[in-house]
Amino acid sequence: MATLEGRSRLRSILNKAALVLPTAALSIILLYLVLWNLYYSFTNWSLFHSIPEFVGLLSYAQAMSTVFFRSSFVHSLELSGGLILVGNLMGMLLAGLLYFVRSSKLRTVYLSIFIAPLAISMAVNGVIWLWLYNLQIGIDWLLVRLSLPALPWLSSTSTAFPSMFIVAVWAYSGLAVLFYLASFMGVDKSLIEAAKMDGVGTFKTFFRVLLPNSYQGVIVATALLFLFSFKIFSLPFVLSGGPTNVSLQTTVVYMYYLYTTEFFAQSTAIATLVTAIAAAVVIPFALLGLRRWVRRE
Amino acid sequence: MVVTVKLSKVTKTFKKGKRNVEVLRGVDLVVERGACMGVLGPSGTGKTTLMRIIAGLEVPSSGEVYFDDKLVSTSNRIIVPPENRNIGMVFQSWALYPNMKAYDNIAFAVKNKGEETRKKIEEIAELLDILHVLDRYPRELSGGQQQRVALARALAKDPSILVLDEPFSNLDARIRDSARALVKKVQKEFGVTALVVSHDPADIFSVADVAGVLLDGNFAQVGSPLELYDSPVSARVARLVGEINELDGVVEGGKLRVLRGVVERRDCQDGNVKVGIRPEDLRVSETEVQGMISLGKVRAKVSSYTGSSFRLVVSPLEEEKVELYVNSDRPMPINSEAVLLAKPEKIKVFKNN
Amino acid sequence: MSEFGPTVKAFLHQLILAIFVVIWLIPIYAMVINGLKSEFDVTSTPVFIPPLHPSLTAFAAVWSQLDVPLLNSVIVVIPVSLVATFIGAMAAYYFYLLSVSKRRSLNFMSNTIFSLIALATFMPYQAVIIPLTRIEANWGLLNTYGGAIFAFILFYIPTAALLMSMFMAVLPRDIIDAARIDGSGDLRTFFRIVVPLTIPGIISTLIFNVIEMWNNFFIPLVLFNVAKQTLIPVAVESFTGGYGTLYNESFAAAFLASIIPLLIFIFLGRYFIRGLVTLGTGGKGAV
Repeated sequence: MATLEGRSRLRSILNKAALVLPTAALSIILLYLVLWNLYYSFTNWSLFHSIPEFVGLLSYAQAMSTVFFRSSFVHSLELSGGLILVGNLMGMLLAGLLYFVRSSKLRTVYLSIFIAPLAISMAVNGVIWLWLYNLQIGIDWLLVRLSLPALPWLSSTSTAFPSMFIVAVWAYSGLAVLFYLASFMGVDKSLIEAAKMDGVGTFKTFFRVLLPNSYQGVIVATALLFLFSFKIFSLPFVLSGGPTNVSLQTTVVYMYYLYTTEFFAQSTAIATLVTAIAAAVVIPFALLGLRRWVRRE
Repeated sequence: MVVTVKLSKVTKTFKKGKRNVEVLRGVDLVVERGACMGVLGPSGTGKTTLMRIIAGLEVPSSGEVYFDDKLVSTSNRIIVPPENRNIGMVFQSWALYPNMKAYDNIAFAVKNKGEETRKKIEEIAELLDILHVLDRYPRELSGGQQQRVALARALAKDPSILVLDEPFSNLDARIRDSARALVKKVQKEFGVTALVVSHDPADIFSVADVAGVLLDGNFAQVGSPLELYDSPVSARVARLVGEINELDGVVEGGKLRVLRGVVERRDCQDGNVKVGIRPEDLRVSETEVQGMISLGKVRAKVSSYTGSSFRLVVSPLEEEKVELYVNSDRPMPINSEAVLLAKPEKIKVFKNN
Repeated sequence: MSEFGPTVKAFLHQLILAIFVVIWLIPIYAMVINGLKSEFDVTSTPVFIPPLHPSLTAFAAVWSQLDVPLLNSVIVVIPVSLVATFIGAMAAYYFYLLSVSKRRSLNFMSNTIFSLIALATFMPYQAVIIPLTRIEANWGLLNTYGGAIFAFILFYIPTAALLMSMFMAVLPRDIIDAARIDGSGDLRTFFRIVVPLTIPGIISTLIFNVIEMWNNFFIPLVLFNVAKQTLIPVAVESFTGGYGTLYNESFAAAFLASIIPLLIFIFLGRYFIRGLVTLGTGGKGAV
């Protein structure tokens, strides 16, 4: 009798293990890679020191004291912060406009159009916008035709970053639109109908009914925008033609640049920094926001 | 293979925020092999928890659960998990697998899928009148058919015990009676130990041999349905099992006085008591009726028709505030007066609680 | 705003929305029309004007450089997406089982592992390229299908697990309980009941994975250093550079790279959107 129970319990454990084993194994590998990064970030591995030696935080200091790091870190902050702000606003605005569209089919079509940039590789998006930013035949051509001043876009250091920012907004706002719209549609219909019967106009309905009830949408949209903006690599890379254009460089690009110039230890230092920041954001978000949004209990 | 289920001092405590809620308190229970037991109680009082503990889906905080002589659950430990207890369960929501046809739903739990199994399933299906819908999907079936498929699924695996969780509450009122009769018939024919959990006394009466009323985490009374109906131990039990009028009464010297009536009750102690009389044990009449005592004159307040009999709300002339429900075979004009009669042996006396 | 009649407001509403939609479409519009321009059109018209003499010369020119990368992408992305989605779904079901278990320790574990998976999904995968390339170099996996497959599996299974666990959270408890009582082990329950019940979620996750994997630029950039032996996003990037590049070739390349994910998005995207919106509204709304 004891073995029968023991056997069935073993079978139950094996069953569960089979479910999670592949994912667990891969997560362990990922963790190993992160720890590998951490290890090498404390060495001086580079083109000049092909046999790495332990140097404590020297690589961190070297990587983070350059002007490149400062500017790339600031760019990352600007990109993320700006994208969160503008992305959320665009998301709310467009989702609000979409919410009041009568035809559900039309709404889906419009929503798809706003999300479509995400279905295209960011590198390809970069290629497209490179030409749109071309001074002769791109947007400037249209601006001149409309008697508006032409802008230098990517060719000037002061406008290069904002130009990239515009592309990012175009590409990533769709995310916010999707989640805000989902939030709006989750608001109890009877609230909207009550507002309508009370003669409340659409603007007021939007600000007083839809938005306040969608704070989950704000949390999810903000977190997602941050995390996606943090990872942005192909856009600055393609718009600059490489990792070396300082005005477009973000932290991740800087990390790659160090890698290509064979300052491996410094690259891993930046990589560890990036991972730590991501973890600091994701873990509370996952525990609080995402789980609650999903569980709905 | 059917078993006898025994619960010994089973307690279950849930954490709700900071507080601990004791849902079951030291419950003892025996369901004999082949018997059908009903558990009656208001919603949220632990009937479902009790059922899930027997099924192995919940673990008792303390106490033991036995199937025959085998210990299957003990304090905070499930020794035999539900998949090994061979339980046949009919969920309140049927819980049919939507992606499988009725036949496959029924056959899902059966290990050997040979010719014998097919025959057995078809027999059960015929008994339950679902033979002709075996190759349909659950969404294509009516509520009654879905319930019978759920029942067939529970029976097809030769269960150790059949557990039914509010099995009729999702059915149309019209087919509930035939569904109840079917469950009773099937339970007797298969001789399977059964447990029916419900808040509706009609379910218990039609199906169970033995019934228990679960109140405040324990069984207030266990007995045959008739015992519970005729001799409830308390007003709460009486209310749960059926409709009852509650009045104040006094016992003096072996006699019970209620309203204007006097009844011999030698076994009752003197003092103030609560008296309960069911509507069907009351009558209004102009004249005397043999076997019934008079409780005084009453005036009719409401007279309505329930499709098979009349339902009156009457008040004693001296006490306008007291209202009594009476089932009658004829209507009574509003504000008219008549004599209220009661069957003396059906008058229930409870301690003042 | 009450002075404006409802028709005026409705008109404004449609107009503003339409303006935004048009703005959003412009880059995609540019991608589609400019690939069809002949050399003459390229040198004489800006990107907004449709081709005067449509021709396929640009496509012909880029095809010779993109055919292999396109094939490579198909070979790598499609099977890996399927595998990743499935394995992710299995892990998601495991978390579901943990989360509904009454034992506090398991619930805690499920939360921790969920956080880990979330981290793995949202962490910039660029951060681990050095160890990844080292390992792949040691195993001789650079510039091979195997190398790309390994990297994609590593990074996209957590995504699949995260997405699927959102879809799994709304599984009907009763049916899973019924399967347990019917003696079905976790694996059997997964394949015969959970998978059929979560098909919409599986499709959504699959679509997401295919599109993301196909469009990934960084991983092939790092793992492949032979010009033609790479995946399509990197191959397209080579059409940006240089003075005198004809833009019709850039756009034709862009179009070729995007046609598959865009088609998937156009035809199947509604399932993905519907899946996410249903999640977001807790099962109520429909877009």
